[in-house]
Amino acid sequence: MAARALTRGLLGLRHSRAVTLGYSCGGQQQHYANAASIKSPQTEDITEKVINQSLEKPDFFRLSELFSLKELFDARVHLGHKKGCRHRLMEPYLYGCRLDHDIIDLDQTMEHLQQALNFTAHVAYRGGVILFVSRRRQFGHLVENTAKDCGEYAHTRYWQGGLLTNAPIQYGPGVRLPDLIIFLSTLNNVFQQHVGIRDAAKMNIPTVGVVDSNCNPSLVTYPVPGNDDTPAAMELYCRLFKMTINRAKDKRRQMELLHSLSAPSKPSS
Amino acid sequence: MLGFRVRVPVLVPVSRSSSSASGADRPGSGSGFAAAFDLQAEIQREAESAAAGSSGSVPGQQDSFASLLRRSPLVQMGPVRDQLVVGRVFHVVQDDLYIDFGGKFHCVCPRPAGGEALQRGSRVRLRLQDLELTARFLGASTDTTLLEAQAVLLGPLEGRDNQNQNQN
Repeated sequence: MAARALTRGLLGLRHSRAVTLGYSCGGQQQHYANAASIKSPQTEDITEKVINQSLEKPDFFRLSELFSLKELFDARVHLGHKKGCRHRLMEPYLYGCRLDHDIIDLDQTMEHLQQALNFTAHVAYRGGVILFVSRRRQFGHLVENTAKDCGEYAHTRYWQGGLLTNAPIQYGPGVRLPDLIIFLSTLNNVFQQHVGIRDAAKMNIPTVGVVDSNCNPSLVTYPVPGNDDTPAAMELYCRLFKMTINRAKDKRRQMELLHSLSAPSKPSS
Repeated sequence: MLGFRVRVPVLVPVSRSSSSASGADRPGSGSGFAAAFDLQAEIQREAESAAAGSSGSVPGQQDSFASLLRRSPLVQMGPVRDQLVVGRVFHVVQDDLYIDFGGKFHCVCPRPAGGEALQRGSRVRLRLQDLELTARFLGASTDTTLLEAQAVLLGPLEGRDNQNQNQN
């Protein structure tokens, strides 16, 4: 009898601990009403259709018309650091070395940039939170303005250790972590890899990163080999990401409007 | 000489008899020059189309990365030591001028003695020493880089004819 009560008590304790664990991991489904549960089945259908339609074509947002090889070349994206600064893992992305200066292969950069922009557009289309990160002081203002212009977030200051990994304790329970982190420079001010890349990989957050010839591309989900030191190149990247995100958000609004107009009073299944 | 590109509409001789009348409009061009020009333009077009066909991916224009890189001023310049280039001042901090000359990095030069006229946006002549200041220190696995180029400031740019030198 007493044993049964004890085990019941212990079970209860374990259950409550599990609940708090689920809470701190960002499982918001349990502790406030999920948006999906409030919506009517009609809007759910529209959302599903809108999302499925975006996956039909490989370049649904027509991002290949936003940039060209000539534009990348004129913005000096192909210029890398000197041979002595080269990271071993960047060698596949290099076209060659000219008088000790590495040249990044722009054909590969075009493909990688297309994939990165496409992924960013899909994340923005689904209403994901995007965080721009760069520790280059020269471009901090530019990155913050870019984030402001497309309605997303930026972090260009000192990165506190537990920002992603210890978020519920540092920022309060139930905080929403970014769905995509875009690194406009993957190095910090002492030429080491930015802590955010490792932390995003730990928290299963995909990353897009501009990797120069002295960076480590291995943990970045969508690396974009390119120059991250010249203002012209950084302005080009910021402009491209801003246009991509705005385009994706506009497309989402357009598609929802289209579907809600075309299906006025559908009977719910 | 296929070094320069001449983009002019194709000259089609409509009738030989009117060429003498139209020749009066263009000073110094008789039928001899026109014929020679046509011939050269045709040869150039044929050479371009043959090269474009062989370069593969991009039809029409020769803008593959390899050809863009080869024709870029940075590569055509060769070794960087003691090359003369034109730069543009984009930032000034008291007596230091931050000059961008089209390379990966900018260079920082002290203001010369009589250089009060050099402000943001003024064009200057430089003699480049290095495109990136790097050095391998003892015990390091990679070079330490200063993220700057090194150049000697020669003076402001005189004259208006040299506008597009080495802007890459």
